[in-house]
Amino acid sequence: MRRRCCRPPRMGRVPGGQPPDPPAGRQKPPGPSIPWEPSEEEARPACHAAGAREPLPLLAPLAVGSGEAAASPAGVQGAAPPGRPPHVRRRILALLLPRLPVERLRRPGPVAVWAQRGARRVVTSASAEAEAAGLRVGQALADAQAILPGVILVAEDPASDAAALERLALWCLRFTPQVGMEGGDGLLLDITGVEHLFGGEAALRTEVLARLARFGLTARGAVAGAAGTALALVRAGRGGCVATGQEAAAVAPLSLAALRLDRGLVSALQGLGLRDLGSVAAQPRAGLVRRFGAGLARALDEAMGHATRPISPIRPPPEMAVARDFADPVVTREGIEAALGLLLEDLCRALREAGRGARRMLLRAHRVDGAVQEVAIGTGLPTRDPKHLARLFRGRLEQLEPDCGYDRIALEAPATDPLTGLQDGLGTAGRTARREELAQLLDRLSQRLPVWRLAPQASHWPERGVRRIGPFDEAEGFEGWAAQPRPARLLRRPPFIGAIALLPDAPPSLLRIGRDSHRVVRAEGPERFEPEWWRDRPDRRLRDYYRVELASGARLWVCRIGLAQPGEDIRWALHGHFA
Amino acid sequence: MPAPPTPPPLDRPALLSALRARIARLERAGAAGALASRGEDAVPLAPAIDQALPWGGLPRAALHEILATEPGAAAGFAALILARAGGTVLWIAPDPDAWPPGLARFGLSPAQLVLVRAARQQDALWAMEETLRCPAVGAALLVAGELDLTAARRLQLAAESGGVLGLLLRPDADGAAPTAALTRWRIGSDLSDSDSPHAIGDPAWSLDLLRCRGGRPATWRATWHGDRLLTEGGTGTADAARRRA
Repeated sequence: MRRRCCRPPRMGRVPGGQPPDPPAGRQKPPGPSIPWEPSEEEARPACHAAGAREPLPLLAPLAVGSGEAAASPAGVQGAAPPGRPPHVRRRILALLLPRLPVERLRRPGPVAVWAQRGARRVVTSASAEAEAAGLRVGQALADAQAILPGVILVAEDPASDAAALERLALWCLRFTPQVGMEGGDGLLLDITGVEHLFGGEAALRTEVLARLARFGLTARGAVAGAAGTALALVRAGRGGCVATGQEAAAVAPLSLAALRLDRGLVSALQGLGLRDLGSVAAQPRAGLVRRFGAGLARALDEAMGHATRPISPIRPPPEMAVARDFADPVVTREGIEAALGLLLEDLCRALREAGRGARRMLLRAHRVDGAVQEVAIGTGLPTRDPKHLARLFRGRLEQLEPDCGYDRIALEAPATDPLTGLQDGLGTAGRTARREELAQLLDRLSQRLPVWRLAPQASHWPERGVRRIGPFDEAEGFEGWAAQPRPARLLRRPPFIGAIALLPDAPPSLLRIGRDSHRVVRAEGPERFEPEWWRDRPDRRLRDYYRVELASGARLWVCRIGLAQPGEDIRWALHGHFA
Repeated sequence: MPAPPTPPPLDRPALLSALRARIARLERAGAAGALASRGEDAVPLAPAIDQALPWGGLPRAALHEILATEPGAAAGFAALILARAGGTVLWIAPDPDAWPPGLARFGLSPAQLVLVRAARQQDALWAMEETLRCPAVGAALLVAGELDLTAARRLQLAAESGGVLGLLLRPDADGAAPTAALTRWRIGSDLSDSDSPHAIGDPAWSLDLLRCRGGRPATWRATWHGDRLLTEGGTGTADAARRRA
């Protein structure tokens, strides 16, 4: 334990809840990054449609094309519920981290990352200090060493770069629930309807960039009404905010490099004298597509805001979420549990107001150093009982590593089900209460141990005769079971045994199990099981099962594997114990 | 529960037995609330066995220990108790090999059986204790090896607070340590009554009641016929009958 005391969470509670199916329902305000004291109305998770509270830049004149694009309901992948009204304008913040491969190493001095490209070794990323000395991306490694002999060279590691970008994307979830990764160095944040929590788009952008700078990361950010526009701006080295409808004008002066097109394509276009996006867009579309393919037209439309570029969210947007920020990082187990208790109360109140219960819950803890850790639990039946949920979380909190503390803890309900008509504290002997208690017990057990029921399955083989189903599923179709003579225990790994029979196909009269010999007093059988030709290997052999009673009274289920005929290699196995 | 029949004077063993039964009932007062919601607080086995037990059957809200000399017979006997306890029952074992097609014969429906795999004994004890504390469960079975007195006592207290019938299935080892269980049984298999070498006949078991708080040890030979447990002989049976007469 690093700190003796932990300050109780006192900073802003965030309005996070919303009914799961409002028509415009994705834009849930996430927490503010600066401490604030909400009023009581604000503190309650609010149900709202995003379009209603979002300040729309309606004064901007709408170009025809952009109007169509923004109206397209296919805007954001996985984020557009079918019933969304078409007038909602999305606002996207694009972030570009051009030096992530170098800066994630956090090493002082001039650093460069190199990679093998064919026969050449080239610099793929250089720190600001190294660039100031003359290093460039794409330079030969030998040149770089000649220019700056003291440069620290690190081989590229694409997997770690991707992991670092994903960590940053998770970190960005503190601003908006919809974050997607773009290329190897970009992030797209759907900030529709959340910017007012940070004091406007410009303030939000400044805040994000300032925080990234505090991590030591160079970043560029641009806000626009379309993801393609914002991306093109940051890739061209621009920033700032572009009002909805101004996208085409904003990207027109940008160079073709902003689209990240094929190099051959760019040089072909430049050969025609088309050096910026505006001049390319001014060309007749049919000829452009015929000559350069549909990819160029698509990229151009996205950049101009005429077509929407989908965001693939790294986490599905939750149906409900609450979060708390802490001025002093929370380090101790007690502190985390206290914060969890408060969050659970908030979320369960929101669930009760919406008449729903959570099926899954996700605790996301943002560490001070930018790392994000997640703990998830699941429940068999929808629930909104804070005590029960806290018990489920208790065992899982050990997974958290609060190295230097958490400055923000968020709790989400990614999946909820309708849950109505429950009266708390009444009728404890009732059936509903019983069912609830049993569900809670099974939840607790299945957090730690595998729990299942068994259901019948159509198969010839006894070991496939039952299949595992979840503890909350119903087992059906076992009516004929009681009549069949079947063992009470079936061995998972049947041992091979020795058997002596009077005739090759007669029941056994002596069994040798381990080192002991047992005389068989009575034997019933055989009962033959054939291989399942549609599923089994062709060399699978049939089995003849006998129910035998030994002199000790023990009743066993033994089988002869293979057909008893000359030349056949026959084995015996013990498969179960009868009661 | 009706008051125990008043024994005739000067029958000291019967008097002592009745007093023990009363004390046992007082000790389990904590489970009264949990049991109030159920119809009966003892699971009936067979008339002769029920008579020998001071509770008129195998009491709920208690822990019972079964020593298995033969795995099949013990599983059958345990399934019989679980089925008669009713409701959802849990089978907690390091590797649960209970097979519902065979257990269905003893009335245990797959719809009420939940299996829990607990490889470590620590987990198994935790799961058993959580289960025994839950009044929504009918009965729970724990397949355990060696068990110390403290752990067993914890389970017994948990069963009392939840009103659940707990079964402890252990292999019959020499010098099995005493536990806090209310009763201890040793279940073995016996040769069946079938008169043909080509028919197995009904399952036959030897039931030894080794220890019973407030009762006396006894032995029966039982066969499972149809849906009833038929008992015969039994040294304890005659004694108990005489005492209660």
